[in-house]
Amino acid sequence: MTATPPTRCASLPVSGRRSRRRGHAATGWLYASPTALFVLLLFVLPLFLVLRMSGSDWPLLAGNQGINVPDNFHEAVSHRFFRDSVVFTVKYTVLTTVILLALSLGLAVLVQESTRWKGLLRTSFLVPSALGLASASLLFYVLYSPLAGPFADLMRSWGFTFLGTPEGALWSTIFLIVWRYAGFYMLLMLVGLQSIPDEVYEAARIDGASRWQTFVGITLPLLRPTLTLTTVLCVTGSLLAFDQFYILTKGGPDNSTITIVQLIYNVAFQGQNDLGVAAALSVITLLALVIINIAQIRAFSRRADD
Amino acid sequence: MATVEFVEATRVYPGADRPAVDAFELQIADGEFLVLVGPSGCGKSTALRMIAGLEPVDAGRIRIGERDVTDLPPKNRDIAMVFQNYALYPHLSVAGNLGFALKAAGVAKEERTRRIRATAALLDLEPYLDRKPRMLSGGQRQRVAMGRAIVREPQVFLMDEPLSNLDAKLRVSTRTQIASLQRRLGVTTAYVTHDQVEAMTMGDRVAVLREGQLCQVDTPLALYERPETVFVAGFIGSPAMNLIEAPLEDGCARFGETVIPLSRAAARAAADEGATAVTVGFRPEALELRGDGEGFAITVDLVEELGADAYLYGTAVAPAVSGRIDATPTVTVVARLAPKGVPRRGEKVRLRIRDDAFHVFSTKTGRRLPD
Repeated sequence: MTATPPTRCASLPVSGRRSRRRGHAATGWLYASPTALFVLLLFVLPLFLVLRMSGSDWPLLAGNQGINVPDNFHEAVSHRFFRDSVVFTVKYTVLTTVILLALSLGLAVLVQESTRWKGLLRTSFLVPSALGLASASLLFYVLYSPLAGPFADLMRSWGFTFLGTPEGALWSTIFLIVWRYAGFYMLLMLVGLQSIPDEVYEAARIDGASRWQTFVGITLPLLRPTLTLTTVLCVTGSLLAFDQFYILTKGGPDNSTITIVQLIYNVAFQGQNDLGVAAALSVITLLALVIINIAQIRAFSRRADD
Repeated sequence: MATVEFVEATRVYPGADRPAVDAFELQIADGEFLVLVGPSGCGKSTALRMIAGLEPVDAGRIRIGERDVTDLPPKNRDIAMVFQNYALYPHLSVAGNLGFALKAAGVAKEERTRRIRATAALLDLEPYLDRKPRMLSGGQRQRVAMGRAIVREPQVFLMDEPLSNLDAKLRVSTRTQIASLQRRLGVTTAYVTHDQVEAMTMGDRVAVLREGQLCQVDTPLALYERPETVFVAGFIGSPAMNLIEAPLEDGCARFGETVIPLSRAAARAAADEGATAVTVGFRPEALELRGDGEGFAITVDLVEELGADAYLYGTAVAPAVSGRIDATPTVTVVARLAPKGVPRRGEKVRLRIRDDAFHVFSTKTGRRLPD
């Protein structure tokens, strides 16, 4: 008899607590649901759609014609521009990443150190970032134009056009991208530089390190998180390059500047109109991106542990 | 080893209306441990950074040994510095931190390893040579910062509040370690702190700073026993010296029943200033309990019993000084008493200042009047 009331009393709050916890969970889901719905509809669903497309015979106009695994993948890798576009995209990515990151780090160091022109320099480096990539590409399309551009006469007298040769087209596009993004990456580098405490630099000065020794021995290692972020951003962005080439070169001259995304676009909407093969190419690109990014992050964090 | 000398050295921060360091004249002898002490913003860290070369000198010179280093960069001054936050290189191991300066100077690898090992042995850091700073305790980090200075065998050590990030107990033990290490190595040292106990226990001499100016440079005991200004009197010693403004009557300062006879020279100096009052200072230990009719009366506000001593905090009626406007002026008085028979809170007791255990300062200038 004496033991019953306590048990009953003890059991009551437990069930109350449990139902309250269930209530908490429901409220939580309610709060998360708009974002969850957004992610589901715009990211997860399209991903599954692409995966399904890549395994199906799916012409642009006729729609889904049934499963044909692995024909699309086979067709994708044996596409006559597949190899060339991979090689070109990788080449473009390496060049852009190296030039852009080196330059933006240099600019960041410059605007951090110079006191007098700091504001003006920072602003002028950042101005191009205010322009959309497509607008910037159109601007350069006119600048590079051998007919209407400001350098038209110069090009005519030198017998040279910016976009007329494969090398010229590549470097002209890299120039545009560096101009457009240097300020943005400079800003990221600047944030990284400013997170390094002044005292560490003072200690290095007292320790007698030269400017170069300080840069290599202190700045670069302590900038590693920023370098990881910028490299991942820049590599991913460059591997998915499309707008600038679509506007400036359309893959030309002589199909020399076809990037992977340009190829996907061409296969899907330009002539071949095969969504299945395009989706297969997209899946291959996605896998490659995931592998490359994991490799980059691993490489950077491994060196941090040394 | 070397001497360090400030010659009229001045530093004005851009946009500041008064110099952070104002025409410093100070010599640190070869092998001496000099402590720069003062409240926040008194210019002590700036002075240290001027020796280091981290802060430019706007006027005057800085000399280390025979050399004028005013315009030399830090690396050519042969100094080493310990920073308040240690400023260890977070990406380098303890050995890497210790060896950074040697590597920068192009010291050969074997020599580098030898010196790193010797320094690590000196500071009990041997087990941690491969660890990164973030894997070390506060005390170990502090020792690495010390080691980074020691390993270079410089002419001068500069230390900027190196103990302020340690807990109280560790601070006391590290304090003794640093002081004895400095004596053993015999390297000229300038040490900045805001803690007057650190200053008193560590320094061969102590320089007290206020608002960019040197107040007094002397041995700890001399500072304690003969402060030259009211500021030094109040700053050095814990609890602080009691400072009371007392009216002058016939060459004596009067405080309650206490009559403090001024020396002839002091009286003359006060008269020359046209002063009607002087500031009288007496340390808590200069007070003793007395019966009626002697000394001055206080009402006990608080008693701190520390075992060996008891500190009595009380309020006394301040002496009436002409020209003052507060209605019922009171002053707080601290007394150090033997722990037995200490009065309780709210009691009224009388205290007497022991003979000759007082200091007399000019109220106007804050300077000590001649004895």
